[in-house]
Amino acid sequence: MREHVAGHFEDIEKQAHAARFGMWVFLGTEVLFFSGLFALYIGYRIEHPRGFDVGVEHNTLVYGSVNTAVLLVSSYFVALGVHELRLGRNRLSAWLVGLTILLGLAFLGIKTAEYLHHFADGIYPGGTGRFFEEHTDPGLKMFFTLYFCMTGLHAIHVLVGCGVLSFLLYKVATRSIGAWAPHPLAIGAIYWHLVDVIWIFLWPLFYLVTGHVR
Amino acid sequence: MKEPTPRALLLTLIVLLVLAGVSLAFRFAHLGDFGFAVALGIAAIKAVLVALVFMEITIEKPTVRFAFAACLSLFALMIALLVGDIVTRSPPPLGPPPGTEARYKG
Repeated sequence: MREHVAGHFEDIEKQAHAARFGMWVFLGTEVLFFSGLFALYIGYRIEHPRGFDVGVEHNTLVYGSVNTAVLLVSSYFVALGVHELRLGRNRLSAWLVGLTILLGLAFLGIKTAEYLHHFADGIYPGGTGRFFEEHTDPGLKMFFTLYFCMTGLHAIHVLVGCGVLSFLLYKVATRSIGAWAPHPLAIGAIYWHLVDVIWIFLWPLFYLVTGHVR
Repeated sequence: MKEPTPRALLLTLIVLLVLAGVSLAFRFAHLGDFGFAVALGIAAIKAVLVALVFMEITIEKPTVRFAFAACLSLFALMIALLVGDIVTRSPPPLGPPPGTEARYKG
């Protein structure tokens, strides 16, 4: 047991707490990082309600909605994976983490298909493309600039999450971590859940809500 | 407080999916200006559920909860000040630059 504890910690529990605390502080910085973009979205939406309405109507609801379900289910799988690891069931935990990664990749695949759909319509990042020559409302440029920026940054986070979970999958499968020290997978899962939470807010903002903010 | 059971995890997933379905249904209900508050309200409930059950914030020590609460408070403060500024300022601060309004009509 002691061999799993770093030298500067008294026991595994204190080490796990420090790791979780570090992850939560990191997630706090992630929230603040995205908060600037959410603030911009709200600000521009108040100023350009019509352009944002047209933007929401133009986005493909099916892509966004399927991706919402994909991320929610993936969050469930990784949470269950942590639970199984705590019980010492490494094999089952590894399968659940593997499924989570697959769903993350499915999310990215759907997002890519959606981006290609936009490109085919002449909608490119930065408000460029023939779509904006036909639709001159400045709110539309704001909407799609924020759309590509926020969903793109989120997709990068999904990609990073897949990488982190792949590393942890290796650790679980090779029994480098297990019931004696499940916290590495737990903090990786917390990161994945935050990625899910961010999408929970992006989905209504870019696919569901029309009308004025005030 | 203990870690959530598999049953609690599954129940949470079902509630999250149902809430997502409700959000989707409201999309077609044409709630007008009210729709924004409803959609974000449902999103907030889903986020709280994920934080409480999946992220297990309830079993964390107070230091962890305090760190994240501080971040959320700063986020809420920024959004509140920003919205307060935009809705009370005239002319609007984020509108088209002066003299360019004509280009944006269409």
